[in-house]
Order: sequence, then C-alpha cells, then structure tokens
Amino acid sequence: MDGVSYQRFPRIKIREVKHDYMKFELRDTDSSIANALRRIMIAEVPTIAIDLVEIEVNSSVLNDEFISHRLGLIPLTSERAMSMRFSRDCDACDGDGQCEYCSVEFYLRVKCLSDQTLDVTSKDLLSSDHTVVPVDYSDGLDNATNKGIIIVKLRRGQELRLRAIARKGIGKDHAKWSPAATVTFMYEPEIYINEDMMESLTLEEKQELVDSSPTKVFAIDPENKQVIVVDPEAYTYDDEVLKKAEAMGKPGLVEIHAKEDSFIFTVETTGAVKASQLVLNAIEVLKQKLDAVRLSDDTVEADDQFGELGAHMRGG
Amino acid sequence: MNAPDRYERFVVPEGVKKVSYERDTKIMNAATFTVEREDHTIGNIVRMQLHRDDTVLFAGYKLPHPLQYKILLRIQTTSQSSPMQAYNQAINDLDKELDHLKNQFEGELAKYTRDY
Ligand SMILES: [Zn+2]
Repeated sequence: MDGVSYQRFPRIKIREVKHDYMKFELRDTDSSIANALRRIMIAEVPTIAIDLVEIEVNSSVLNDEFISHRLGLIPLTSERAMSMRFSRDCDACDGDGQCEYCSVEFYLRVKCLSDQTLDVTSKDLLSSDHTVVPVDYSDGLDNATNKGIIIVKLRRGQELRLRAIARKGIGKDHAKWSPAATVTFMYEPEIYINEDMMESLTLEEKQELVDSSPTKVFAIDPENKQVIVVDPEAYTYDDEVLKKAEAMGKPGLVEIHAKEDSFIFTVETTGAVKASQLVLNAIEVLKQKLDAVRLSDDTVEADDQFGELGAHMRGG
Repeated sequence: MNAPDRYERFVVPEGVKKVSYERDTKIMNAATFTVEREDHTIGNIVRMQLHRDDTVLFAGYKLPHPLQYKILLRIQTTSQSSPMQAYNQAINDLDKELDHLKNQFEGELAKYTRDY
C-alpha cells in the first residue's frame, strides 16, 4: 500500500556554538525546509513572558500600561516552556496565576527612600520558580556594573508594587514571546573563475576586478599573481564582479551559482533559550505541526464512501 | 474593541476540522485539502515534498488571504496513486526527514561540545 519513500537525509555541520549564538551548515535538503525552520524559530518556538500585571501601587512617572508593556518584553529563562501548557488549554486552573502547569508568578516591590535616583530593574523581579527568572546578561561584569534591564527610575518617595503572571506563548501571538534575536540562512555560493580568460588580464585589470566586489571575496595571490577566491561566503549576491567582468568585455570570466541544497544558518537568541536548544525545539515544533495536519480517520472514511461514486466516474 | 483575539491566528476554533478534503468533480485523481490555521511554513514544505513524488502530476498551495488563517493545497496524481496517498506519503517522509535531522544535529552538537 505504501509507495516508495522520497525521504531525504540532510546533513549538519556545526561551525560555532555559544550560549546565545550559533552557526551551522545544513545540506542535502531544500530551501522549503530551511525556511520552515527559520520561520518556526522566530515565530513558533514557545518561551515564557510576563502576560498579566496587577499593579498595587505605582507612583512612578510611567503609567501602569507602560510599565506592564516593559515587563512583558523582559526575556525570561524558558527551558521549561516546551513542556509547559498554554494557559488557554490548561484545565488544571482558572487562570489565577497560581497554577504550576501554565504560569509563573512574579512580585516586584520597590520604593525609593533616598535622594539618589533609584533604578528599578529586572533584578528586582522576584520569581516563584527558580528556573524561570529574567535572563542574566552580566557575562563577566561585576555586580556594581550589572544592574539588569531597567524598568523605570524612581525619585525620593516614589514606589512601585505589583504582581505579574508569566505565561507560555509564541512569537506569532506577540513578539515578546519570540526567542529569536535574529535567525538567517544564506545559500552557499559556488564561485568559478575561468583561468584561461583570467590569464588574458593585466595585473591592474585583475586588481580592478578584485576591488569591484564590495565585500572581500577575491584576492590576488602574492606568489603567482593569480586571482583567487579567499572567502566565498563574503559574497552578498550583489553581482558587482559579474558586471565588472561584463564591462571589461569578458563575460563568463567569473561565474557564481547559489547551491540550492546547502545553507549556512546564523542563529542568535534573546537568551531565553540556548541557541542550540532553539534549533532542536524548532525541529520538534515542526514535527508536532506535521502531526497535526495528518488526515483524520473520519475524513478518510468519508472519502471511502465517496470512492464508490468515484469509481463510476472513473468508469470502473 | 471588536478586534479578534490574537490566538485566532493559530488556534483551530471548536467544531472546525484541521484538515478537510474535497475531491475534484471534473479532474481524475485531483483534490483540494484545506488546512486550517496553517501558513507558508507547512504549505511550502508539503508542496515541495509532493514535487519529489513521481506519481504527483500537480501540487500547489495558496494562502488565500492574510486574514483568512488557512491554506489550500491542491494535488493531482497519476492513477498509480491518489491525492490522499500522496499527501500522507509526503507528511511521513517529512516527518522521517526531521527525525534524521534531529539525530544529525544532536550528534554534531555532542561532537562539537566534546572537541571544543
Ligand atoms: Zn494552569
């Protein structure tokens, strides 16, 4: 019954991994998969962000909704998000924020008592769950220089007191839930130099050609004065060298093709999840999405009945 | 005030089928699948996977309108297959590809963290 498989076996090569940054090569698949992964990393991998704020006291210069909005945008560590429930389909609670399956509670209580302006920062947010806390961007900074993300500044006598509920969400709903700072991929370029034609160029012409590229893709080999490709990935598909070759009356001197099955990904996160984890989560989310679009049994059954009719139509 | 809820974009409303299927009345082995609350992410990968299938004569998708949160996927196959069979096959193949991708990524990640 099952037909032949048309499955592909993509390959990965990792170039660089940091906490919130990574670069890797994806090969032996097409741009639809690369783009689906990119889109999902940006808009559909869940994180946790503040979604509901109850303000008790706010005598700061910023109004309640302004502060609520700022709180929402603070990245929270979200390793838990994949296994958490969305509040809207949580049946264990009534959305009061006390539920361990779908929400995390935060408190913030700050009052300025001195003449010195007081910064209220993400560090003043007290979480009910030690795994869900504002992302720490200190990275080697000492405590005095690292204050976290500033929410508002208070002068003497001003006070801010509130309770906030953080929930699981996705970037498609609101960008505050997007774990991605930037996710991009580029097609790997294949650069071919026609050596015979290149030989007919003077050294000055070669230099002109090398300089025509706005990014440093080509260079002249100091040894044998030949034009070489030093960094193919620096090429931005700007066509400048091709135009230059054309203008020199040497079309075909350089040929550049984008390989259609090789991609170089750059992933940067907000710190809510690790960059490597973001890629894995994206694959998982895509798998879940595919599973959701499988045909249901009743759809197939309904068609089987229709199939009798269809057989007549086919003249069977 | 009367703005629709943001989740309208990705939550299938109650009583609505995620995927519905309609045979073409004029063309043999042709059908349209309506997939609710999905966009180019799913539409494009399924279409491209269907193009790899030799029994598929036509596969295309469209997002009819940015405010209608659904895609339409049209498939026509040879008599060796059917739109439903091709659709299922495409999803299975994509699913297996992602399993492979996940293993590859995890393997390479483990290798990278060990070496550096
Ligand atoms: Zn709950």
